[in-house]
Amino acid sequence: MSRAIVLNAADNVATLIDSGRAAEPCKLQGEASLTLTISSDIPFGHKVCVRDLAAGAEVLKYGQVIGRASQAIRAGDHVHTHNVEAARGRGDQTGGAK
Amino acid sequence: MMAGTFLGYERENGDVGVRNWVGIVSIMDNTNPITRAVCNAVQGTLPITTLFVRGQYGRDLEITYNTIAGMARNPNIASVVLIGLEGQTTEEIARRIRPSGKRIEMVTVQDMEGGTIGAVADATRKSARLAIAASGLRRKQFPASMLRIGVECGGSDTTSGLSCNPTIGRMSDRLVDDGGTIIISETSEFFGAEHLFAQRAADPEVRQKFLDRVTGLEREAMSIGMDIRGTNPTPDNIRGGLTTIEEKALGAMVKSGSSPLVGVLDYGEAPVRKGLHFLAAPAPAVENMTAMAAAGCQMIFFGTGVGNPIGNMVSPTVKVSGNVNTLRKMPENIDFDVTDILEKGSAVAPIGDRLYDFALQVASGTRTTSEVLDQRETAISRFGATI
Repeated sequence: MSRAIVLNAADNVATLIDSGRAAEPCKLQGEASLTLTISSDIPFGHKVCVRDLAAGAEVLKYGQVIGRASQAIRAGDHVHTHNVEAARGRGDQTGGAK
Repeated sequence: MMAGTFLGYERENGDVGVRNWVGIVSIMDNTNPITRAVCNAVQGTLPITTLFVRGQYGRDLEITYNTIAGMARNPNIASVVLIGLEGQTTEEIARRIRPSGKRIEMVTVQDMEGGTIGAVADATRKSARLAIAASGLRRKQFPASMLRIGVECGGSDTTSGLSCNPTIGRMSDRLVDDGGTIIISETSEFFGAEHLFAQRAADPEVRQKFLDRVTGLEREAMSIGMDIRGTNPTPDNIRGGLTTIEEKALGAMVKSGSSPLVGVLDYGEAPVRKGLHFLAAPAPAVENMTAMAAAGCQMIFFGTGVGNPIGNMVSPTVKVSGNVNTLRKMPENIDFDVTDILEKGSAVAPIGDRLYDFALQVASGTRTTSEVLDQRETAISRFGATI
């Protein structure tokens, strides 16, 4: 079983402090204490979703917005660049406009 | 040693160094080989090299001059030998170092008989005399309030924001409480966290100055028309689990602790008061730490996750990590292990208090991994073109 830390009660992601294996349980620590099942392998230090997120939902860590879900994300899913968009430094979206 | 004190070298202007090097300073990139030859020949010297200078102009040149002179004025430098190609530029830098009261020797290649061979010989002779003179100075006890520490992170991952950076934050608060100075920098690493940091500004002017630096840089980055992700966060940040610049910024900011922000500095500037400062400078570690050394930081505390071993030349750099894998893979590149925070759930505050004690030991002469392994480099940021 792997462990993951929830930093703020509002957070919808937790940070793994072990490597997580698909279909195995992950125990949440810190500001949450449930155990969830990981849907795919998650490397040490990467994030797991702790609450289902709709596409476009704000991703919260430290109780702050760290980006937006670019697709629906289920609790237990790996949360990273493949399903989260940054909101800042996005010259690609403004077409280079200042 | 009494609590809240360290053993340092008193300088002519009342500053206190934690090291006692003779700085061999290149005035331009074309004199770096001479600087290195002199440092190889004389123990107790430190090479302060540069790239460019020739052909730089306007604000960009001004920043470069101030940064080279700032490193030379750093309290860790006992005296300096300037290695120039010609006299006029060398004098430009010398003039900016003189207010520190340090001894300055100058060698200019075009004024020497014997070209680079003559310049190396003359600079070696001058450096040897200064190195012997510097070695006569003894460490004395000073209060921690004389310390100015840069707080940096590099090779960050998600452990950084949870372990090493909050530990450094605790140390920052301890030093500010003792009357010292902390400098946090890396402007782009406030994208997404600036609203929280701005709340700590001591007055509206400082707040606006800080926000202007952050929004100005983001606007400049966006004008390229790219997503900055992949450049910052870097590929190794992303591999380490950091997903966006916002996530990285929120974890990076905690190095500053919780004290009020009292001043905002630009590249090449140094604080004129005590307390927490923000220094607007590019995030990559080498160029960022160069600005910190030029701002007079006697030490830099550097949080790392996946591992970035580089340190600054002038300002001894302490590597702090809370990533167990990094401690296993590169233990000789880490000075302070905070893995208990994630591995055992240990509280940050007492570990941060130990880090502060360690800071006073390094200030008193304990050497760091990047010093003894000579993993040190200098790079002055460029803000313009050369002609």
